[in-house]
Amino acid sequence: MALVIEQVTKRYHDFKAVNQLSFTIEKGEIFGLIGQNGAGKTTTFRMILDLQDTTEGNISWNGQPMNRVNRDVLGYLPEERGIFPTMTVEEQLYFFGVLRGWTRTDLKQEVDYWITRFELDDKRKAKAETLSKGNQQKVQLIASFIHQPEFLILDEPFSGLDPVNRQLLMDAILYLKEKGTTILFSSHQMDNVEELCDHLCILKKGESLFTGSLVDLKEQYGKIKLSIRTDLDKSQLFALPGVGNVKETKDGFTLLLEDESYGEQLFDTLGKGKYMEKFSMDYLSLDEIFKDLVGGEHV
Amino acid sequence: MSKFWILVTQLYKQKIKAKSFIFGTLLYVAIISGIIFWSDIKAALFSEEPLKIAMINNTKQDFKEVFQSDNDLKFSFSNDDSAKIEKQVKDEKLDAAVFLNEKDGKLNAEIATYTPLEFNDQTKLSSMIQYAGKIYSVQQLNLSAEQAAQIIESETPINMKNLNTEKESGKSEDEKAAGIGASILVGSIVYSIVISFLSIITTDVASEKGSRVLEVLLASVKPSTHFLAKITGTYLLAFTQVILIFGVQIILLLIVNGGEKWGKVADIVDHLSISYVLYTLAYLLLSIFLFLIMGALFGSLVSKVEEAGQTMMPAMFVGMAGFYVLLSGLSNPDTLLVKVFSFIPFTTVMVMPLRIGATDLLPAEPLIALIVLIVTVIVLFYISFSFYKRSVLTYSSGGVIQKIKTVLKVTT
Repeated sequence: MALVIEQVTKRYHDFKAVNQLSFTIEKGEIFGLIGQNGAGKTTTFRMILDLQDTTEGNISWNGQPMNRVNRDVLGYLPEERGIFPTMTVEEQLYFFGVLRGWTRTDLKQEVDYWITRFELDDKRKAKAETLSKGNQQKVQLIASFIHQPEFLILDEPFSGLDPVNRQLLMDAILYLKEKGTTILFSSHQMDNVEELCDHLCILKKGESLFTGSLVDLKEQYGKIKLSIRTDLDKSQLFALPGVGNVKETKDGFTLLLEDESYGEQLFDTLGKGKYMEKFSMDYLSLDEIFKDLVGGEHV
Repeated sequence: MSKFWILVTQLYKQKIKAKSFIFGTLLYVAIISGIIFWSDIKAALFSEEPLKIAMINNTKQDFKEVFQSDNDLKFSFSNDDSAKIEKQVKDEKLDAAVFLNEKDGKLNAEIATYTPLEFNDQTKLSSMIQYAGKIYSVQQLNLSAEQAAQIIESETPINMKNLNTEKESGKSEDEKAAGIGASILVGSIVYSIVISFLSIITTDVASEKGSRVLEVLLASVKPSTHFLAKITGTYLLAFTQVILIFGVQIILLLIVNGGEKWGKVADIVDHLSISYVLYTLAYLLLSIFLFLIMGALFGSLVSKVEEAGQTMMPAMFVGMAGFYVLLSGLSNPDTLLVKVFSFIPFTTVMVMPLRIGATDLLPAEPLIALIVLIVTVIVLFYISFSFYKRSVLTYSSGGVIQKIKTVLKVTT
């Protein structure tokens, strides 16, 4: 285990920001920490980074308590973006690299590589304050891993990025994973989490609702999402056995079943042995599971 | 290079190239040079013609020795009649005409002008007339020239003899005057430096906190390292500015007019005691440190840079209070107000040098003020040091007290 979080609680007077949180991250894994605003994600990150003390519990990296870990092995992108406004893009990256123990000579190759990869070549000498929000975000993101950290924490890395830049970032995260970086990140965009994460933890008001692999989470719910195209109307569909919820879509209906086992019965009832244009049973998306778990909202 | 020095270097390089620092330093140099070299600047830029003043002496006394022309006033004694002289004044061929008459055994003068004289010129002319009046009165007593000169130029020398052996040996009037002069200069410079660097460090920490770059930095360095780096970097910057300001002045004093003014400065410095110089230097170095500690702490309390001004207000008011007490003490440095403020660590640097230079105080007093200042710096450093770790990542609204309460609430 690279990162181990054991029974961690953070209390402010009577308020528990994080309560008895436990999870582990393997080396080279991408782990997602998801939850609503105020769920305790940033507090958890800060405790991992030893920026805040835990009230109870332990956090360790490669068996060492966080306060003894060499900070140069860590990388961090905070939720609210921050860079030196009057420093140029290039100088900013060199500064953070040097601060993490690199020499300017060694950094040159890294800086050039990432500036080109993130399409910032023409902004090298531009002051950060003159960049667009998206470009500032890219600069800060590069700054967080320019020193090739062993463990990288990304707090909402995708917020505010357009689809093209989001894809650039996704590819970069996968590239870092290939190079062996362990990554912990939070996001409100569940499709990104779904695409990137091996394991995840869902937080609600500081408590873990689920910790484990994405596959396990989906299997826990089963294939209960049924997409169909039919002549029946919404009320008729509601009346069918095992149907918990019906939602009309542009392309027919999406039914949420009480259990996967109702699928076969519904296939018979709706098809009556004839050809059906669309009948598809599938797992819930992470977005749907999240809404169900955190918001108590069904599809 | 350690992380501490990387942060110090980054801050120093960034701030020393900042327009605000460059223009601020140039402004200080320009203002101080302007004050020191005002007479030379005035002579170079405004080569004014001396005022033409006609003297119409209707007495039997000869006043040519009294009314001697110089760069400001050019006197000409005339026998023309009053109407003709007044016409010349009206036509502005003359700036003024002074009619000297005798009335009841005393000299009586009337100054006729078309454009009123400037205050300085009028004061100078009046004092010459007063002097002439004294000579006239003395002459009426039929004394010899020596006797008359003895009366007019008599001055009583006053020597101070203090019988209290615990007090420092009394300072001469020259030493006290030098003490007051040096204290005005030191006080003004210290006030400006302390306030501007308090502002620099508060704004810098606040801007890093507000832009969240501080969170990235603190993931790499400990808050204590960051705190010390901010204070050290800003201290070095302040030190650079002091050296630049004084360095330029020393060079100017040495080269302008063949170092004529340097002699006058050396005179003032000669009249200052070693203890004055050492204490003032110690107060200065410690006070900059004291205000920087406060500035870093205030900067860590705010959530965004816009709030920095409001948060550092209390410290600025304290500095301003010290400066005003210094000004109030220039005419009378022995008041209770001056004594009290000379021991308050936040105002010692502005007020105590005035007392050391211009009053006869107990030798222990500057030392006590120094010890109080050192203790305050140490205590405040440790309080700020521990508080900074908790406040840099806490975001809250409200005034300073409210912010402190929030930090204490969420971190204890």
